[in-house]
Formats: sequence, C-alpha cells, structure tokens
Amino acid sequence: QFYKLLLGVSGISVEKNITLDSATRIELSCRLDDKHFHFKSVQVTWKRGNETIRHINKTENSWSIQLTILDNSKLGSYNCTLKGEQELSAVFHLQVPKIEGKEKAIVSYEGDTAVMICKSSGHTPIAWTWYMTNGSEQIAINDSLLADKYAINRMSANVTHLKISKLTKEDGGVYWCEAAFELGKSKGKLKLKVLSIMVPLKPFLAIVVEAVILVAIVFLCEMYSKKRAKRA
Amino acid sequence: SFPGERKEEELEAPAGGKSPGAKAAAGGWAWGVVLHFFLVNVLVMGMLKTFGIFFVAFQEEVGGSSEQVSWIGSIMSSLRFLGAPLVAVVCRKLGERPTSVIGAGLVAGGCLLSTQATSVPFLCASMGLLLGMGFACLYQAAAVMTAKRCRTRLAFSNAIARSGMGLTFLIAPFTQLLLDFYGWQGTLLIFGGIMLNLVPSSMLLRAVSTQPPRHSSAKNPDHGSSMAKEDSETLDGCLDETTPREIQLCSAQDLPTTEGAMTPHGRDVSDLANTSASEGFEKPPVDGGSPGIAKRSYTSLPPTKKENSQPLLDFSPLKDPVFGIFTWSFLFSHLAYFVPIFHLVARARTLGISSMDASYLVSVAGITETVSQLLSGWVADQNWTKKYHYHVAYLVLGGVTNLLCPLATTFPLLMTYAVAFAVFCGGFMALVLPVLVDLVGVQNLHSYLGFAAFFAGLAAIGGPPLAGWLYDYTQTYVCSFLFAGACALISPISFFFEPSAQKWKLKKANL
Repeated sequence: QFYKLLLGVSGISVEKNITLDSATRIELSCRLDDKHFHFKSVQVTWKRGNETIRHINKTENSWSIQLTILDNSKLGSYNCTLKGEQELSAVFHLQVPKIEGKEKAIVSYEGDTAVMICKSSGHTPIAWTWYMTNGSEQIAINDSLLADKYAINRMSANVTHLKISKLTKEDGGVYWCEAAFELGKSKGKLKLKVLSIMVPLKPFLAIVVEAVILVAIVFLCEMYSKKRAKRA
Repeated sequence: SFPGERKEEELEAPAGGKSPGAKAAAGGWAWGVVLHFFLVNVLVMGMLKTFGIFFVAFQEEVGGSSEQVSWIGSIMSSLRFLGAPLVAVVCRKLGERPTSVIGAGLVAGGCLLSTQATSVPFLCASMGLLLGMGFACLYQAAAVMTAKRCRTRLAFSNAIARSGMGLTFLIAPFTQLLLDFYGWQGTLLIFGGIMLNLVPSSMLLRAVSTQPPRHSSAKNPDHGSSMAKEDSETLDGCLDETTPREIQLCSAQDLPTTEGAMTPHGRDVSDLANTSASEGFEKPPVDGGSPGIAKRSYTSLPPTKKENSQPLLDFSPLKDPVFGIFTWSFLFSHLAYFVPIFHLVARARTLGISSMDASYLVSVAGITETVSQLLSGWVADQNWTKKYHYHVAYLVLGGVTNLLCPLATTFPLLMTYAVAFAVFCGGFMALVLPVLVDLVGVQNLHSYLGFAAFFAGLAAIGGPPLAGWLYDYTQTYVCSFLFAGACALISPISFFFEPSAQKWKLKKANL
C-alpha cells in the first residue's frame, strides 16, 4: 500500500493518519511541490523519533521509505524533513484503529439493565475485552464468573455488547472496551450513571402537586362565582 | 306558555343591566379557553416534534430497527387526526370538559406507562395509541370550545392559540437536557407530569353560557329545578351574575330538549336555531323586540325536536356538500403544507447551502408563520369580507409561490420563498377553523371537525411517503414543490361551489 504527502508551505506541518489493523507492507512518500519550490540543493531525512531511516529517492522530487509492519513496535510517527532554502516537513501517523466510546454518559436506574455498545469502524478486531474502573485500577470483566450480572455478546464482527443486570449504585463509573488487533490494542471509554428512582420522581411529584393545586384553585373559583351569583 | 313569556318580558330590563357584567365574565372565561388551547398546541406539537429525539434513545435501549421505532411516531401523530370522529362522539355525549380531562389523563398515563416499556410493540401501544388518542381528545375539545366561546373574535383567538406551535422549538433543547440528566425513562416520567398540567387548564373549558334573555321556550318554569341537576355544567355560565328567576328561565328553556335525548349541547341547539334565524347575530339587542324574541323561540321548537334525535355517531356531515367542499380544500391544502416543509432543508442542501444557513431558513419561516397567523386572524375578524375569501386568496398565492420556487436557486431567493410561503401558510392555517365554523355553524362542529380531522389525518399519513416517493422518482426536489403548488391551487377550487351548495342546502331544508 502506498501513501503520499505533498510538501507545500513552510511553517505548516502536513500530517496523515494511517490506520493499520494487520501486518502489512507499506510505502510512505514525501513529494516536493515543484509548482512553488525549486530548491537548488535538498537534504531529506526520514526519522521515527530519533531513529533515522534510509530512504529512496524515487523521482526527482519525491523521497520514500518502505516498511514492513509486523507488530506494535513498528507503529508510530514517521517524519520526513526537507532542508533547502526553507525547511519543510510532513508526518505520517501509523496507528491501530480507534475505538469510539460514548461521550455522553449512559443513564440507567437501580435494578434495571444497561447495555453498553462498542463499535470498531471498518476493521475487525480479533478479540474484545471489557474493563471496569475500580478507583484507579482497571479490572477485566469476567462474564463466566458473574454470569447473572454481566453478559458479553459479540453482536457482529465489529460490534460488542456488555449487558449489566440488576444495577446498583456501585456499578456506575467508567468502563473500557478494548479491541485486540494483530498490531496492538485500542480502547474506548464509556460512562455509566446509575440513578435511584427517587431522582426523577422528585420533580415529577412536585409537578403533580402543582397541577393538583391549580385544579383546586380553578374549582374554588368556580364555587365562588356560583355562590356570588346565587347571593346576587 | 303565556306566563312564561310575560316573565321573560319582566326580566328584560334588569337583565339588560346585568348583561355587560355577564359578558365580561364570559369574556374572561373565553381567554381561559384560548390559554388552554395555546397550552394544548405547545405541549401536543412539542411532544410530536421531540419524538425524533426519543427515537435514538429508544433504538439503543429497547432495540428494534429504525423502521419499527418510527412506527411509534407515525401512530402517535396519525391517531391524533384519525381518532377525531370517535372523540367527537365522546365530546357530544360527555361534554368538552370531561373529554379534555380524559385526554390529559390518557396522555399523562401513556407517558408514565411508557417508562416501563421493554419492547417496541409495548411502546407502540403505550406511547402511540394512548398518546395519540389523548391528543385527539385534547385537540378536539379545545378547538370546539374555542369556536363556541369566541364567537366574535374566533379567527384571532384561533391564531393566538396556534401560535403555541411556534414555541415548540424551545422544547427540543429542553428534552435533550432532560435526556442527558435522567435518561429516557426519567424524561418520560417528567413529561407525564407536565402533561398532567393540562388537567387544570382543561377545567377552564366551562360549558358555554348562552345569554339568557334571548331564549324562552318556557312552558313550565316549575320543571326548572330538575333540569338544573341534569345540566349543571351548561347552567354554570348562566349563573354568572344572574337572578334566581333567570336561573329558572335558563333551566326552563331546556324543556323542549327533553322531548328527545337530553344532550349537553341541547341548549346550543336552541341557541343556533335562533342565530340561524337572524344571520350573524352575535349580540342581541336586549331591550328591543321581546315579542319578536318569543316568536323566534317558538319557531325554534320544531328544529330542536328534530336535532335531538341525532344518532350518536353522526354520519350526516359526509352527506353534506358543504362538508365535501371543505374537506376537499382541507385535504389538498394540508398536502401543500406538509410537503415543502419536509423538503425545504434538503433542497437548500442540494443547492449547496450549508446546514447552518438552512436551519436559519427554517427558523425564519417558523417565526414568520406565527406572526402571519396572528395578523391573518386579526384581519379576518374585522369582517371586511367573508372569511373564506381570505382563505382562498392565501391558498392561491401560496400555490403560486410554490410554483415559482424552482426558480429560487440562491440563498437570498430561497429565503424570500421561505418567508413568502410562511406568510401565506400562516394565513390560511389560521383560518381553517373559522372557515369551518362559518360554513357549518357551531352546533354541528364536533362531528364536522371530527370527520375533517380524519381526512386531514389521511393526508398527513400519505404526505411524507408521497413526498419521498416523488423525490425517489424524479431525483430532484423541484417536483415536490411543483406538486405542493398544484395542490395549493387545486384546493380553493371547491370554494367556488360554496354559494350554490348553500342554496341547494336551503332548498333541501325548505322542502
């Protein structure tokens, strides 16, 4: 697979995110935009962190590197820097697929059942694991151990469900769903909020009381006007 | 009969002094009815519009495909119209106030029951069915009561009440806030409570007080007390600042209705019989012509007898050509109203307008529509010409605007179209109820409104899929606007037949 970035204006850093889920061979290439720049002498460096990588001068204005990604250690940010009259650079970010959690908390009630859903976009993970946060620790959820409380279902290749039954206040908090890919793991964050039934019940009862008071007022007004008419 | 007549003559003078006070009280309650109708519009339309926000929450938690969940919304909004004939029957039997309270109870109960929902069919029944029928009850009772109470300023009051729909845009962010805090179950619980507020406002729907000195078909004033018990609600209005003697008269005039079934709107029947005898006669001259009044009340006797043998489910509107005229126009004008609303934003997007600007279009159109409703109602109430002339004018102009819409290809032009369309839409929407009242009168309003709403419901169900099909077939939104324009132009055609239909009716009645 072949990825290319065009080096243009100095000062602005050009970036590209590349998502990889399995072992593959890729080629990253930096090209100088010859409409805008003609440098007399050019010095190109490809780096990952502090480590310099040997590159190939493919054409007059492009330089590329070829990588074989077999495991997590080869992922990261690859940087190509061009030094001429000006300094231009571009970065390739090689990553495992991101898992989207939910930004908004899932609200559920005590005694109820909550379903937490994690999706992986596009890439199929090898395995899913769910973690619960206890203080600062992350504890894996074992659904065979506590079968009547937790149930983990793989609904489809890219979707996993965690079902928590008989919710209590302690079940609230942050949950993580972790997808394992060939090249590494990726986590998504979900929040669960467990409320007691009293919480919405209080405003509800307040509104009901207010409605009853209004009914009483209207009723009293009617009785009053009837009495006034009878007296008159 | 003669003693009764003489009693009426005696009471004319003091009644003349009392009637401004009674009128003021009646005016106060009329505003109460308008307030209730306003609240109904806000809450009902708000609930219907925010269903889309619940949609997502339901899909995630209760499960079910997108199509299944959208059935709930369809049932809810279509039952609001389709349930109207049934509600009309209930209204005529029980009276508006109990029906409205039942409606509010249904809605609140539906909301509360839905919090326990575990599957989509459950929600269909609890939310769709109960809420839909509740909305129908509320709407029908409020609309008819407004027509009965606000005789002189019906169009303006109707417009004020309808402007409640303009406030519904506030409900969406409010719902989202509640959903974030309490989850969908808590939100439904709180909505149930809010809907319970419609119970006290339904209590404002006191039965209509007809002005006592006008009617006397008093045969036997002694029967007055027994009548009073059966018909206490309709008497309430009468009792506003009336003398005990007038109470007897009020109850006594119900006597002719005992020949047939005793219905709460029996008094309205005699009321209308009098008004039809003297066209458009809203505030009777209390001092003049009391013998004349007595004579008119005698001629009202035979019609009241006939009227009270009406069956409970009244299909007579379907045989009435005036109803046909109205429904034809109503159906097509509703189609013309719904379709552009659905496709305005989409059309703006296809023209390359950003979604922020497109939502400006919608908000501006909404505000313009509300303002134009109020203006149109006020203008119509000035009675410079018959109300349906305005209605026809708005429809024709709206149709022309829609036909010109395909020419709007830039944002300013589209904004002009949206404003113009909103002005004409607001205009004709505000006049729907007043025009119906003008055509058929207040007495039969329940059955007519019920069936008219039923047909509007058919249009509401058919409208969106039809619009979608049009788009799929032609791959452009231009067609939907042309279709809407054509509908809007077809709909006023039926009004050209109105004078001849009225003549036909009179001939039939005289035969």
